[in-house]
Formats: sequence, C-alpha cells, structure tokens
Amino acid sequence: MSRATQSVLVRDDRTLYEAVAGTAVGLSGVAFAVGLAALLGVVTIDDPVAGFELSVAFGAVLLALGASVVGFGVASRFGYVDAAPQPSAGIVAAAAFTGIWFAVGAIVSGAVGFGTGGRLGVGVILGGIAFAATAFPREDIGSTVPAGAVAGLCGLFLVTGVVGPGWKQVLVGYNAALFGDTVVPLIVLFASLVAGWSAAKAYGGFGARGRNVGAYVLIYLVVCSILVVLIGLVGFVTVNGLPGLFNGFGVGGAALISWPFLTNGAGLLADIAGVFPALVGTVWLVIGAVLFAVPTGVGAAVFLSEYAEQGRFTGAVEVATNGLWSTPSIVFGLFGAAFLIPRFGNQKSLIAGMLTLGFMLLPLVLITSREAILAVPDEYRDASAALGVSKWQTIRSVVLPAAIPGVTTGVILGVGRIAGETAPILLTMGGGVLPAKSAAPNVLSGFQLSASPPFVSNPALLEATSALPYQLYALITAGLSGNIQNPQEYAWGLALTLLLVVLVFYAVGIATRYYFRRKLHQ
Amino acid sequence: MSQTDTAETTANRTDSQGISTTAGETVEETRPEWTSYEAGGETKLAVDDLDVHYGDDHALKGVSMDIPEQSVTALIGPSGCGKSTFLRCLNRMNDRIRAANVDGTVELDDEDIYQDGVDLVELRKRVGMVFQSPNPFPKSIRENVSYGPRKHGDIETGLLAKLTGRAEPDREEALVERSLERAALWGEVNDRLDDNALGLSGGQQQRLCIARCLAVDPEVILMDEPASALDPIATSKIEDLIEDLAQDYTVVVVTHSMQQAARVSDQTAVFLTGGELVEYDDTEKIFENPESQRVEDYISGKFG
Repeated sequence: MSRATQSVLVRDDRTLYEAVAGTAVGLSGVAFAVGLAALLGVVTIDDPVAGFELSVAFGAVLLALGASVVGFGVASRFGYVDAAPQPSAGIVAAAAFTGIWFAVGAIVSGAVGFGTGGRLGVGVILGGIAFAATAFPREDIGSTVPAGAVAGLCGLFLVTGVVGPGWKQVLVGYNAALFGDTVVPLIVLFASLVAGWSAAKAYGGFGARGRNVGAYVLIYLVVCSILVVLIGLVGFVTVNGLPGLFNGFGVGGAALISWPFLTNGAGLLADIAGVFPALVGTVWLVIGAVLFAVPTGVGAAVFLSEYAEQGRFTGAVEVATNGLWSTPSIVFGLFGAAFLIPRFGNQKSLIAGMLTLGFMLLPLVLITSREAILAVPDEYRDASAALGVSKWQTIRSVVLPAAIPGVTTGVILGVGRIAGETAPILLTMGGGVLPAKSAAPNVLSGFQLSASPPFVSNPALLEATSALPYQLYALITAGLSGNIQNPQEYAWGLALTLLLVVLVFYAVGIATRYYFRRKLHQ
Repeated sequence: MSQTDTAETTANRTDSQGISTTAGETVEETRPEWTSYEAGGETKLAVDDLDVHYGDDHALKGVSMDIPEQSVTALIGPSGCGKSTFLRCLNRMNDRIRAANVDGTVELDDEDIYQDGVDLVELRKRVGMVFQSPNPFPKSIRENVSYGPRKHGDIETGLLAKLTGRAEPDREEALVERSLERAALWGEVNDRLDDNALGLSGGQQQRLCIARCLAVDPEVILMDEPASALDPIATSKIEDLIEDLAQDYTVVVVTHSMQQAARVSDQTAVFLTGGELVEYDDTEKIFENPESQRVEDYISGKFG
C-alpha cells in the first residue's frame, strides 16, 4: 500500500446504514414471500402472528418499511451517508410513480365517496405531486419518498383494519365482490415490491450501482413469483390428482404391478374406473399426427430452403405458414369435420383426429425445420460439393443430420400443443365420455389385408375414439359420472395423467435432441 | 448464396471500377508477352481467355494460362483481384453462385470442362478443393475421410451393407489410414478416429480436409488460402505438405502471403486489381526479376 490515493476496490467494512438498508431489503422479500403464500391460500390473513392478525402484522411491516425507506433518502440527501446519487431518479421512475399515485388517489377517494369527476381530480393531483417529487429532487429523495409513502399508506390501511379479514367490497354494476383475503395479499405484494426496490437502491448507494441493485431485486422478486405460480399450478394438479391416479394401486400379486386407473376402462364392469381407452387414444393420436406432420414438414422445408429460388413464392409460403400456425384450433377442427370425416366413413374417427392434429402440427414443423436447415453453415455444402457429392446426397448426409436438433425442438413444442387440444378432436374424433376398456383403439393388430381395394384397412383407425383432454372436457361439462364412485377424484386423476403424458412426450423429444447434439459435437 | 461469396463479389465490384480508367491500356499491350510463359512438363490444365462476370461486374478479364502437371502453382495478388474466382473456375464451383457467368475454356487433360454434358460429380472427383477456413463435417474423423468414397459408392459401409455382407470395413480402414498418412495427420489422430472432427485444432482440421480431399483420389488439388486461418506452426506444416503433395498431384494454391508463394511454388501467377493476370512465370523469376513494373511494385510492397 504505497500509494495513498488508491481508490477503494474492495469494501468489506459494512456501515450501519448498509446493514439497515440490507435488512429492509430482506424484510421486503419476506413480506413478498408471505404475501404470495397468503394469495395462494397456504396461510390465511387472520392467522395470529405475535398476538396480532397476520394482516395487521403485514401493515406494521409495511409501515416500518415505508418509514425506513424515506429515512434512507433523507439521510443520504443531508449527507449523513456515503452515497453517489444522480441528479434525478429518471423519467421511467417518474412515470411509474405518477401512475401508481394516480391509481392510489382514484381508489382511495372513490372509497371515501367521491364521484367520477372527483376521483379523477384527486388522482391527477396526487399523480402530479408524485411526478414532481420523483423527477425534480435529487435521486436519493426522488426514488425513496414516493415509494416510502406508498408502502406507508398501504401499511396504514392494514394496521387500522380499513382493509382486513372480513372486508368485502361489492363491485357496483357487476355481479361480483372483492374480499379481504384476496385484496390484502395483493396490497402486500405490491407495496413490498415498491419498498424492496427503493430499499435496494439505497443499499447500493443510489447512482449506477444503486440502480443495478434495485433492478436486480425487482427482477428477482418477479421471477420468483412466476416460478411460485408455475410450481403452484403443477403442484395443485398433482396433489389433487394423486389420489385418483393411485386409486387401487398395488405392487405384487399376479400382475406384479396393478394400476387400475391406467389399465381399466370406465365401463360398468370395472370395479375401479380408469382412463385406459382415452390414454391409448391420446398416445395414438400424437403418434399419428407426428408421423404425418414430420416427414411432410421436413420435406417441404428441404424444398423451400435448398431447392426453391428464394423469392416471392417462398415469401408467400412463409407468410401462409406463419398464418396457419396462429390459426385457432377450432378452425382446424371444423375443417376436419367438414372435409376429412366424409372421406373416412362419414363418422368421427381416430384417423380424422390424427390428420387434423397433423395439419395443426405441420406449420410449426415446417417453420422450425426451415430455420434449422438455413442455420447449417454453407461451408458444409461447399465442402461436400467440392468432393463431387450430389446435392441430394449432401442434404441427406450432411445438412439434415446437422438440422435434426432444431427439427426436434419444433416437434417437441408442437406436440406439447396438440396433445392437449380439445376443440379439434371434439369435432373430429369424438368417442364416449366413459368408454369401457374394450373401446380402446387397437391400432397395431387392427390392420387387415384384403384382395380388393383398398387392400389394407384398419377398423381401429375408423372408429370414434376418446382422448384424455376430450374426456376431461366431457366429464366436466356433461357432469356424467356413470358408476364412478368419486367423479371429482377421477377427473383430477385424468388431468394429472394428461400432464404426465405430455411430459413423457417432452422427455422423449429432449432425449432425442440430446442424443443428436452429442453426435454432432463430440 | 453464402456470405463469403457476396463479399467476394462486392470486393470485385469496387476494384474493377477503380482500375478501369487507369491501368486498362497498359495491360492490353503487355498481356500476351508476359503471360505466355511455357512451364516445363505436361500441361494438366489449360485455361484460355477466361472471363467471369458476377452480374454486371467483370471479375476476371481474359485470363489464359497453362498449369503444368505435378507441380505447385501459386496465385498471388491483392484482395479482390479475382484469384479465388479463377481458382473456383477450375472445378466449376462458381456454378454454385447463380449470378456468376463464365466464358472461355478450361481444359483438363485436353478436355473442356465447360462444354455441355460435363459431369460435375466426375469433374470434382478429379479436381478436389480445400477451402480457406477448415470445414470438416460434424462427424467422426473416420467418417470425414471416407465421406467422398462412401457417397460415390466406391466403399460400401452402413447398415444395409453390413446386413447383406457387402460391407468393406478393411478397405475403409486402409483408405482412411492412407489418406491421413498422406496428409501428415495419421500419427496425431490414429488413436481417436471415432472422435468428432470438430474437436481437432484448426491446423489439424485443415489437414483433415486435405485428407478428405485426397481420399477421393483427385488429380488436381485446388487450395484457397489454406493456411490463412492458422498459426505459424500449423502454417508451416501445411506448406511442407503442399510441397510433398506436388510429387503426385497438380497443386494450385491461392495465397495472400508472398513468402508462402516463394517458399512452396514452382511457378507463380500474379493477379492485380481488375481481374487481370499480369505476369505468370517461374517463381524465382517473379520474385527476383519480374518483367512488369506493376508486379515489381506489388512484390516490393509499394502497391497492393
């Protein structure tokens, strides 16, 4: 350490200010997490916390957060702490707080009893003040005071019980009402997000570093909440579906594993109702659609990217393909019902469903295959041509193998979409709502040869067949229960089975892609 | 087509416009005298009055030269002078660029490769090519080397051949070993022939590309700046290899580096901006006592 003027690269002396700001960020995170739990019903807002209701405790935390956030700003403004604020909090923050305070003003004045004009007036006035308070003072005031005030105000409502458990607001003009156990968690989520962002900025000492920390906290909290929602969704279906799925499940005995839910039909003779016919129907449906769409789509992609002159024709095809991919599935279903069904025995059939879903899958396979083929470097084609290898041989041995991972990605995405489609198979495939085990399509052994046209036939393909999403839809809308003891449990088990089937198809696709990537790069 | 092709076309456009007013006349006078060089040995490739247009751009202007058998011919010149274009005319790789238009004749063993009915597959089997940046396929080293013969049906591998008992693993093995040996790569990769070729270093990849080219058993090997993407050690290995290959093959090599041309080639052709062949002679003569003032300027670094 010879030079006295050396700038500080490592700061490990944590000041009291930083410790307090860090605690505030942590507290916001905790409040956010508990708020999320309350929204999902894991905890309820009238649970007692240290002698108070949870909603009052929330209010106290938010009040404390609001006060400390304002405190950070003031401490920085008067130079008590070492910070590097910029001249203004910036236009984005100003616009955000204008919007927030406009909404706060309009809602609160409405609750007090103002009319539409009055509410707009209060909103505009508060929004204007928030804009001025954010945009004009130095950054340390501009990004703390409006945020702290929002958090404090929200806290005040909760502490005083203005909004709390048992609170109910009837929405005038709608046949609906807002309840405290939904609104309180929402208020907490919102206020802790704002306060957490502001406290994080203070923790980073404002300026570039503070904005960095603030953005990090904001993004982190939002991402976590999205993850929680996703996990919550899958977890909800799983928890509800497991009893149905494992109804009568047993290991050992004559069949080693007995899993009646997956191996039984829902007929009158089944002691435990199962989803076997619909499960087999869905599997065949997806296999049929993939078998139809992948060769056609990849072939078209090869033609469009390797053989066709790039120009108006390929451009038009591209536009049409993108349009087809975003066409609503019910339209495909209508096409199948009006065009395919009269050509396959004039009744709803498995093959009509396969082809309809194949048509739906085709555009995505075409788009992704085309992109994958175009992404294959021209050097490979040049090298192959320079060895005297013909164009088709080059495509087959070099271009397509290099494009397979991309094509597989497209198929994975598409299968995820078509496996859960209800509308097209409602119109083209039908099938019973509660099919007996004998109704399961027996495609493999169904092929029959005959001496007269059409020479090969397969009755299994021409019969109306049930599929998981269709059966679920029919169960819920028709309200049928047949001889099923617990229809609710059965339907949840069905939903979980559908989820698992899609996941299995995903897993197969991802494994395929992994295999071909390894082959290309190792 | 590819990006490099477009870049090449653009470069030609600028240069041909830039030179057309200044140097056109001189060249008209001098070309016959300085390029009518007769190399020793049998002529393998005879190029006569070759013109190439990319759309409106005149990329190559009336080039004539005879390339002798079993020797190294270097093509040097500044960027965009048409030397790569010339090289790509010798195995008709320019056919792959839609805008390219080639006039004139190129005779391979007294047979015009631009006449109607030429089998491009057969032509490119006889005239192989190695590119500027190493471009092995994303396959194993073995598959890379045997790719050409397999696709031509000279060697039977694959599932069907195995099932019908027509597979020739021994012949494939021998071919792979011979080609890699010839490309001075066998010793470095013989224990990992089934590894992906993309795992090799740049220099090894380029020698693999040469081995891949040799496996088809060509008569002529065209190399488009084969060492420009490589480090000095890898470059010197490639240069040694080029000199070695000239004992059995006719090698035509485009290079940016005059030192490289001086080191490896028997005769040198100098292309200057505008797509003209300015001088073609023994390498020694070109570098020590060129006839043309422009070539002398270029060699000594005053121009280009």
